[in-house]
Amino acid sequence: MSILKKPDLNDPELRAKLAKGMGHNYYGEPAWPNDLLYIFPVVILGSIACCGGLAVLDPALIGEPADPFSTPLEILPEWYFFPVFQILRVIPNKLLGVVLMAAVPAGLIAVPFIENVNKFQNPFRRPVASAVFLFGTFVAIWLGIGATFPIDKSLTLGLF
Amino acid sequence: FPIYAQQAYQIPREATGRIVCANCHLGKKPVEIEVPQAVLPNTVFEAVVKIPIDKGAQQIQANGQKGPLNVGAVLMLPEGFKLAPAERLSEELKAKTAGLYFQPYSADKENILVIGPIPGDKNQEIIFPILSPNPETNKNVKYLKYQLHVGGNRGRGQVSPTGEKTNNTIYNASVNGRISEITKLENGGYEITITTKNGESKIETIPAGPSLVVKKGQTIKADQPLTIDPNVGGFGQMDTEIVLQSAGRVQGLIAFFISVVLAQIFLVLKKKQFEKVQAAEMNF
Repeated sequence: MSILKKPDLNDPELRAKLAKGMGHNYYGEPAWPNDLLYIFPVVILGSIACCGGLAVLDPALIGEPADPFSTPLEILPEWYFFPVFQILRVIPNKLLGVVLMAAVPAGLIAVPFIENVNKFQNPFRRPVASAVFLFGTFVAIWLGIGATFPIDKSLTLGLF
Repeated sequence: FPIYAQQAYQIPREATGRIVCANCHLGKKPVEIEVPQAVLPNTVFEAVVKIPIDKGAQQIQANGQKGPLNVGAVLMLPEGFKLAPAERLSEELKAKTAGLYFQPYSADKENILVIGPIPGDKNQEIIFPILSPNPETNKNVKYLKYQLHVGGNRGRGQVSPTGEKTNNTIYNASVNGRISEITKLENGGYEITITTKNGESKIETIPAGPSLVVKKGQTIKADQPLTIDPNVGGFGQMDTEIVLQSAGRVQGLIAFFISVVLAQIFLVLKKKQFEKVQAAEMNF
């Protein structure tokens, strides 16, 4: 269907590059002009249309003027802070809560130093790393949803 | 009663976001509001406020007897929005809002609507007919997204505006001691005499309504409840958003979308055409 160039494996230059994990631009669909000139603008226009549509149909709310002397009834941070907010909220000891919050970026910083224990990149060949990732994502979403519940059912989400 | 708030507060919402009904209606129960995502200017639309009540719930009336619950609601619209005048209502909307008397919060606050108390069993859904403002004629209003606040209540209050408890709330002991006497009053209430350790006696008067949970001779601590909490109602509040939408903007957006789709189609067609050139030459 589309226009594809086959890799020329008789070319010693290409084979040398492939051996180093490079040279993938020697075959397949050419980037210029097929992708860069024709398909990129399609995507760019689509993105602009999505942003413009949202801007017109669902404009941002102009909130109330801030008053530093009044605490809102329900305090909630931005949505991406929900999981750590929930950690801070349910841990009874404040110091422990702060330490656990700090443990999140500390754990992320540690990732580049320990990820090469397994030399593979394919997630299916890194079962431990993949499992930790999936578990962490699940816990983060669970805690994030819990942050929006009242505190007595924020860990069970009122499910059980 | 909404009138208590109208007398005491210029707007029924405190800086913390709390609607002032919660100062007397201490129970907490959910309410919901449904409004359209966007409305055109100078249009009548419905805001549906849902105040669910448990089926068959009975509350204590002012005379101590049991009776049905009333509901009431306050709807804080954005500046410029107001109650739709009767002649703008459709027949359907007229039927839906028949018998409901909405009232502006005060003379200069037409955008805050109050209703109640009205019988709760058949008014668990209150439909407010709202007229949106027109930014072309009213220069204070812009095409924007606005916030709405709604508060809904069912049942009587627990505190009166003067700070005294009503008979629809829990009564606690004010001192440590032993209950030496309980007298039933003529009006259905009680007088509980608590004798403290050093012999002083303190009389707690309980109005008709809440039933007692203490017996004569019982030792009690200060703040220990003397009665059950008879309140079955409660107040809830919710915020929602509505967009005042300009028809011209939507038409422009649709025209823009059409031009974008056309441009995308032509780009893909051009690519397909160029691929034929590439296939013929095979020199890329």
